[in-house]
Amino acid sequence: MIHRRRIEFEVAGRVVGPALAAFERAKKATRGKRAPKKDSPFGPPLEATRKLKELMTTHYLKGRYADGAVPVAWVTSGFPVEILRPLGFHAVYPENHAALCSVQRLVPELSDVIEKDGYARDLCAYARTDIGSVVSGKTPVGRLPRPDLLCCCTNICQTVLYWYRALAAHFQVPLFVLDTPFIYGSAPAHHQQYVRDQLEELVTIAEKVSGAHATPDELADVVRTAREGTRLWGQCLEQSRAKPAPWTGFDGFFHIAPIVTLRGTAACNDYYRMLRDELADRVARGVGGIKDERHRLLWDNLPIWFDVRGMSTLLAERGFNFVCTSYTNAWAEAGSKIDPADPIGSAVVAYTHIILNQDLPNRLEILSRLSRDYSVDGAVLHSDRSCKPYSIGQIDLKQRLSRDLGIRVHVLEADHGDPRAYAAEQAEGRLTAFMESFS
Amino acid sequence: MSVAVAVGVDVGSTTCKAVILDGSGAVLASHVEPTHPRIEDQARRVIAALRDQVGAGELPVGSTGYGRKRVPGARALTEITCHARGAFRLVGKGGVLVDMGGQDTKVIRLGPAGDVADFAMNDKCAAGTGRFLEVILGRLQVPWPEVAPLVRGASRAVPVSSTCTVFAESEVISLVAQGEPLDGIVRGLHQSLATRVAALAGREVDGEVFMSGGVALNDAMVEALALALGRPVRVLPTPQLVGAIGAALSAR
Amino acid sequence: MRTAYIAKQRAEHGRKAVTVLPVHYPKEILTAMGLLAVELWGPPGAPVSAEAGRLQPYVCAVVRNALAFLASGRADAVDAALFPHTCDSIQGLATLVKDFGGWNRPAFVFQHPRGASRASGRSYYLRELRALADGLAEVAGAPLDLGRLRDAVQLHRRVDEARADLLDHRRHLPMDDAALYALLRRGEWLWPDDHLRELSEARATLQPEPVQRGVGVMITGYVPEPAALFARLGEAGAVVVADDYAAVGRRVIRPAAKLDYTDPFEVMAALYWAAPPCPTRASDQGERMRHLVGLYDRSGAQGVIVHEQKFCEPELFDVAAIKRTFADRGAKLLYLEGELETELSGQSTTRIEAFVEMVSAARRSA
Repeated sequence: MIHRRRIEFEVAGRVVGPALAAFERAKKATRGKRAPKKDSPFGPPLEATRKLKELMTTHYLKGRYADGAVPVAWVTSGFPVEILRPLGFHAVYPENHAALCSVQRLVPELSDVIEKDGYARDLCAYARTDIGSVVSGKTPVGRLPRPDLLCCCTNICQTVLYWYRALAAHFQVPLFVLDTPFIYGSAPAHHQQYVRDQLEELVTIAEKVSGAHATPDELADVVRTAREGTRLWGQCLEQSRAKPAPWTGFDGFFHIAPIVTLRGTAACNDYYRMLRDELADRVARGVGGIKDERHRLLWDNLPIWFDVRGMSTLLAERGFNFVCTSYTNAWAEAGSKIDPADPIGSAVVAYTHIILNQDLPNRLEILSRLSRDYSVDGAVLHSDRSCKPYSIGQIDLKQRLSRDLGIRVHVLEADHGDPRAYAAEQAEGRLTAFMESFS
Repeated sequence: MSVAVAVGVDVGSTTCKAVILDGSGAVLASHVEPTHPRIEDQARRVIAALRDQVGAGELPVGSTGYGRKRVPGARALTEITCHARGAFRLVGKGGVLVDMGGQDTKVIRLGPAGDVADFAMNDKCAAGTGRFLEVILGRLQVPWPEVAPLVRGASRAVPVSSTCTVFAESEVISLVAQGEPLDGIVRGLHQSLATRVAALAGREVDGEVFMSGGVALNDAMVEALALALGRPVRVLPTPQLVGAIGAALSAR
Repeated sequence: MRTAYIAKQRAEHGRKAVTVLPVHYPKEILTAMGLLAVELWGPPGAPVSAEAGRLQPYVCAVVRNALAFLASGRADAVDAALFPHTCDSIQGLATLVKDFGGWNRPAFVFQHPRGASRASGRSYYLRELRALADGLAEVAGAPLDLGRLRDAVQLHRRVDEARADLLDHRRHLPMDDAALYALLRRGEWLWPDDHLRELSEARATLQPEPVQRGVGVMITGYVPEPAALFARLGEAGAVVVADDYAAVGRRVIRPAAKLDYTDPFEVMAALYWAAPPCPTRASDQGERMRHLVGLYDRSGAQGVIVHEQKFCEPELFDVAAIKRTFADRGAKLLYLEGELETELSGQSTTRIEAFVEMVSAARRSA
């Protein structure tokens, strides 16, 4: 017998979501065709963005009906979701939700709710946004489904442990911790065995919570799809090796959503195929993400979600584009190492060897490689006030990058989510001075 | 005239306040002056002056505030305990006291018997204190008497988002340059400060809210705080003297 | 003082020294290998060198000061450094000094498992212990001897028992908090036998009747700095009757069951998960709150002081839960935040005094 809730969930995903997105588009169209601003420094907007909005709208709409229909897991961005998907889990990504809240400038309000309870404002903006949203019930996506299982992986930071423990206490649901020891140099065998053992424990717990069981073929299929999606995302990023780059680094921050939140689904891969083709076409026609690309930059660390547009414009007006970022690149690396022939074994390697789980020499190597491959003239290292794992070492990295590669490097002080931690005028002034130093 | 029974001295970082009380706790005489670095000398002089004013001899002395331990021969208690006692003497019931001074802000939850049930202080950073307004209004050259009418007359508040006094100052200068109305900016500043103070008060604000301290003399601030807390705020009589009164009550 | 002691240990006992960052690490292994552990909690105060500038100001002072200290050669009296995988900042510090300059001597990491006890974690912990021992063998000059490890485990059990005795019978100890904490913190760098001797001398002074009359408070937090905090509490009429400092009480392990010392590694694993809950080990938050409540109730404390250092994520994420837990019980709570200063600020002094005044008044009217 098919559960009513399950029907709602499926209808939301297959019919309502796309219909809603179409409705939004029609609304915009009937408002009258807006002539592109003559003085905009940007190239023509990407067609794919429409589809992106549809995908993400559908994802969040499905979420509203997920609890009670299918097993729900809240997961960290670096978690091997491939293991959960074949069991029918709907995966919620609090980090993605928090980014969305930040873009809409809702973080101060959500954070204030829990700061009154004693949460320090210095803590990770994603965590404060998420916990604030959970405690207040406020969210711009209508409603987030209650989790049946919380899954965090320490490959992005240790902070997720403290954050997800708090969620576990609030929701009173099991928390699965995938503890991935940090890699100093190379990963010793017993560290890898530990991760492997935990993945096997994960399967047991996930099967128990979902009441489902995945065959090896079903798991292999999802892994294959996820790997393909990762490679497609990588192909999208690689288009920016061209001069001019066909899109901006900031576009990348938005188009990354599917590989993070929908990895392992056909919809994700279809989307990136479409995006890649559009970008490749722009490269062939010499169409740039910005009209007048004069300087190419590397961006390190998380985006400044609440000021993506502002910063993008500030740069584009002076002919600067971010052609590569360590953040978007991370999603083209991890998932490319997973192997349908050995899902668990390959997940051990893939999910431990990510930029934030490896030492500074590795980080320098990645930044250097990106800088060379994408022919950058300079780099901006976002010194993210509430993200220590990503920001520690940047002072040294700045020195080494400029010395080894002969490029100009700027350390930009901001935050990924909370505008209150950002002194906009001062930061923009310094960034402008940095850009002026190129002439 | 009633007989004087105790003296209370509140040595704040900006001003030194002193009172002399009678047996019923009423203020017979008071004195307020800027705090001197040589607190011991100032305290002696002020106490002597008050005693002369009412013709009293040696009396027990209670002290509070930043310089409380340097008032000779005084029983020193923190400004939390003294403000609670002083406020309770003036209102006779429990509630929430918000004391806003030049350089610190305190929120004290008073139990029905006048006991301190809980307290919170914001004294590490100027942005949560009277200093915030002082610095920025000074920069904008708005004289104090004009502040409340200016704020009341504003059609809307211009939000000031910086949480640091220094950055807020430069943000305000930008806003003025962008043509934002001065009255809206000044209202925005008050709102900003009120929000921070309300956050200090936390989630449960039970009972009546009272206000003391020099900043309570700014009607615009009282109104902004009432708005932020979602309830009326009653300014205590002689708001600057509440701490000194409490110190005097504690002297015996 | 420490430098002289380290030199003496080397000269008289042939013991090398290892500087250890906070919080949880297998002391028993170092002791068994004849290595003196010298813990580095800062040191407090302004960073001792400009090297601190290699870390942004939003990194906690414990880590910034440690960077300044290590990179300026102040720790050159020791032979190696050990970085437990406590948090993102210590994780980053380890690679920063090892790989980008600041520490040229051997550097080791100890990555203890997170979360509840699971088969994967227990098996991993045993191997991580052995891996650390293998790594330290070069510094120590000889591999780890199992018999010596067994002895070391038992020695550290006696040290813990002594510490527990002093902490659990605080009111019967005629020693003020400043002196007690100074004594307990010497365990961060003394050879365990020397520390045990001092602890035993203190235990010998325990009285049959309570001698401390002050109002009792419980403290939970990271590290008791500035130490002047205790003098202030004492002057205000309070005494610390329950301790959950990461640096102190949270590392005093009171195992529920009797231990079988046949395999010292298994004993160490059992002890690891029997330790008081700590966010740096990702202990369940609910379990931690229950532990704190139990500690509070058993001690008869009248109030709780939560004493944290700015930017310390593992600690700060639990503050709201601690506040709520104690508010629900009607217990009074003071939140203090520091930046690893050496002096207690006027503001903190006022807060402490106001808190003790508040709690004392409540005690009198109770």
